[in-house]
Amino acid sequence: MNWYLQNGKDSDVIVSSRVRLSRNIEGIPFVSKCKPEELKTVYNKMQEIIPSVGYGLKFISLKDLDDLNREALVEKNLISSEFSKSKNPYSAIIINDEENICITINEEDHIKLQVFSSGLELENLMNLAIELDQKLEELVPYSFNKKYGYLTACPTNVGTGLKVSVFAHLPALTITGNIRKFLSAVNNLGMSIKGVYGDNSKAEGDIYQISNNQTIGITEKEITKNLKLISQKVLEQEKMARKYLGKKGIDLEDKLYRDFGVLSNARKISEEEARELISNVKLGTDLGIINELNDTKISELMLYTKPASLSLRVGKKLSVYEQEIERANVIKQILSE
Amino acid sequence: MLCQNCEKNEANIRYTQIINGVKKEIALCSNCARKLGIDDLKMPINFNSFLGDFFNDYAETEFLPMLQTNELKCKTCGMTYNDFINTGVFGCSDCYEVFSNPIDSLLKNLHGTSKHIGRIPKGKAEKLNVENIENKNKKEPAESKKEMLQKELEKAIKEERYEDAAKLRDELKEMK
Repeated sequence: MNWYLQNGKDSDVIVSSRVRLSRNIEGIPFVSKCKPEELKTVYNKMQEIIPSVGYGLKFISLKDLDDLNREALVEKNLISSEFSKSKNPYSAIIINDEENICITINEEDHIKLQVFSSGLELENLMNLAIELDQKLEELVPYSFNKKYGYLTACPTNVGTGLKVSVFAHLPALTITGNIRKFLSAVNNLGMSIKGVYGDNSKAEGDIYQISNNQTIGITEKEITKNLKLISQKVLEQEKMARKYLGKKGIDLEDKLYRDFGVLSNARKISEEEARELISNVKLGTDLGIINELNDTKISELMLYTKPASLSLRVGKKLSVYEQEIERANVIKQILSE
Repeated sequence: MLCQNCEKNEANIRYTQIINGVKKEIALCSNCARKLGIDDLKMPINFNSFLGDFFNDYAETEFLPMLQTNELKCKTCGMTYNDFINTGVFGCSDCYEVFSNPIDSLLKNLHGTSKHIGRIPKGKAEKLNVENIENKNKKEPAESKKEMLQKELEKAIKEERYEDAAKLRDELKEMK
């Protein structure tokens, strides 16, 4: 089963974890200054070495994927939206069947090595990333400088080249009105935290991404440890807020079951509305109030209500209006499985 | 009001930028805004040029006698200092050597430090050690340490870090 449909450690609050290493190949300019033949060299080199790396990794050229499949990769947070729109003929991804390893080729840096897991799994992910990195470095010489470490196009990544992040579901901190205070506290600790969906004024679905800012002058171990500490604090605070909400008894139960009612009975539903309702239904399930669902179903709901993933599941490209109808159908399907 | 950039068209976009509490405001016409990459209403601040501005601000501080930095150009990829200011990304590995001075202050600002202490690629670790040994062989170790401390001292005084300077001075005294 794909990692994003699985249930992980503490995934009632920390939905998923990601570790990303940015690397460039020695002797070739960074992507923005590459000539087409240099991009091709990176592309060919990576394509050539991947079979010997193992892990069931496959090399897929981005130009061989249609818009829907590219968009679905963005929805699963495997690649960035900018990269999915790349016109560069030498953009590629290297991915395995579980999709817990996804390496992008010729994005901002030549190589972005990413590993994913559901729940809070930072140490294991870090180990996997380093294992992969060591295999790659034997096959491609990395651009490295004694003083500045691993060199990256953007100075925000230089040094370790490491960005560690988690997605956290924080509905109770939001409902109890503590989220703003909480966001600034996390920011003060040198981490960045932002809503994943919607614009800046409101984080749709109450999903937030927390990641490290500092990448140089700090070891990989420290970065991982710091992010784990923050994640545990987040977990603790959200659980405290949930306990407080739980005291509201029937009022909370009523609100969450009403949302469940709308979600399961709607005949047509927008992406935004679905996201809001799923957030509350997930909260209800995690609190043990709603018993009709389990974690896998919640993960499926979260994924298959997104436009491209929905269209792929239905098997054809849908207009926005058709999406709303099919979304309601798919929700009913998942609930009745 | 006329656009402050081209001074021809009527300005219809007001762009405000706040960096480290310093507020700059400029009125632009839509043509110039597009040229400067700030017409995208979804993302009014282009993060890349934002980063570049940071770099720029640092170059202008009196700490760094780097007026000539503006002329710097990376021979390998052709990247100029101004290119970095505009894009926020470097062109190749050698840029880190060419722009080493401003990069140091930029990294200190972004990360609090500019010295890598994390992992080292396996092959590189050996090479680095060899380099170190070579350097050591060239000079008497005590001599080079003295020189290094002297340099540090001068730097500390220049940057008005007097506490550090005092410590370095004492260390130097001991060696003599």
